[in-house]
Amino acid sequence: MAIDSSLLWWNFFLLGLATILPRSSFIVLGEKISLPASIKHALRFAPAASLAAIISPDIFLIHGHFQIGNPKIIAAICTAAIALRLRNPWLPFLIGMGVLQTLSHL
Amino acid sequence: MNNAFWTGGKEGFHAFLPVSIGLIPWALVTGMTMTSNGLSFFQALGMNTIVYAGTAQLATLPLLKSGAPTWLIVLTALVLNLRFLIFSAAIAPGFRGSNVLIRWFSGYLLGDGVFATCTPKMLTEEKLSWRLGYYIVPSLWSWLLWQIFGCIGVLSAKSIPETWSLDFMATIALIVLLIPMTKVKSMAVAAIMSGLASILLKEMPFKLGVITAIGVGILAGFLFERFIEKEHA
Repeated sequence: MAIDSSLLWWNFFLLGLATILPRSSFIVLGEKISLPASIKHALRFAPAASLAAIISPDIFLIHGHFQIGNPKIIAAICTAAIALRLRNPWLPFLIGMGVLQTLSHL
Repeated sequence: MNNAFWTGGKEGFHAFLPVSIGLIPWALVTGMTMTSNGLSFFQALGMNTIVYAGTAQLATLPLLKSGAPTWLIVLTALVLNLRFLIFSAAIAPGFRGSNVLIRWFSGYLLGDGVFATCTPKMLTEEKLSWRLGYYIVPSLWSWLLWQIFGCIGVLSAKSIPETWSLDFMATIALIVLLIPMTKVKSMAVAAIMSGLASILLKEMPFKLGVITAIGVGILAGFLFERFIEKEHA
């Protein structure tokens, strides 16, 4: 289960670059350069689209198959409902994990 | 370091403090997820300081573990980090007059919370050292919280029974980030379309379906806003 160590550090380094470059981009280039409005517009959707693409297989598929009533779907719905209504940073984790544990041990 | 730096720093710290509490569960979860994906203590610390980006870390850990190719891992992080291009462009005028080294350092520290809290005053305040304090002090506080609670997460993951699906903690963290975004209709469209596409494309090799799905989502959101929302406006 251990990951090849030198490859891992190389990946960390590149991931670090993939983070600091967009973060520093305009701060370092200076305030005179700016993105075209249409690209700025399209980029606004990148965070929501990428989050959804990453989490939905985790939630909806079990061993690669869709299953209605899968405990993860119900736990995710509860988590989303809490996150939508309350700003408490802990509750989504407590409720989500609690629901998942309870349902998978029934 | 002069007086204005600390006056700005104090004000920035007070503005950011309540927001920063929200980082704690995040850092804990990221720490736990790193451990549950097989990173050693030292490797986890390394990732937390070198990458220092919760969302990108949580999203790439399963890819790192499954031995996905490096280009795919980096591309995934890059897409998730695209938002920082926008943040960077928006906050850049706040660094007018400062040198390149401070700019790189500030770029490394740029996080969602400080960006949202500190940008307005960074743009309007005259004094450079006040602005820098107002940004750097809360940013360092955020960095410190991230490292400390990341460590606690790494250490506590081992004492949690394996039957608990800790992976799901990462999913919860990402849901919590996603939900407030979807209050805007076109964002919700982008999220639904990319989520759907990602499930339908799950058979694509190297998790390429994820990247494709993100493209589908961005396009869907963009088109929805352009052509459907405009018509009703």
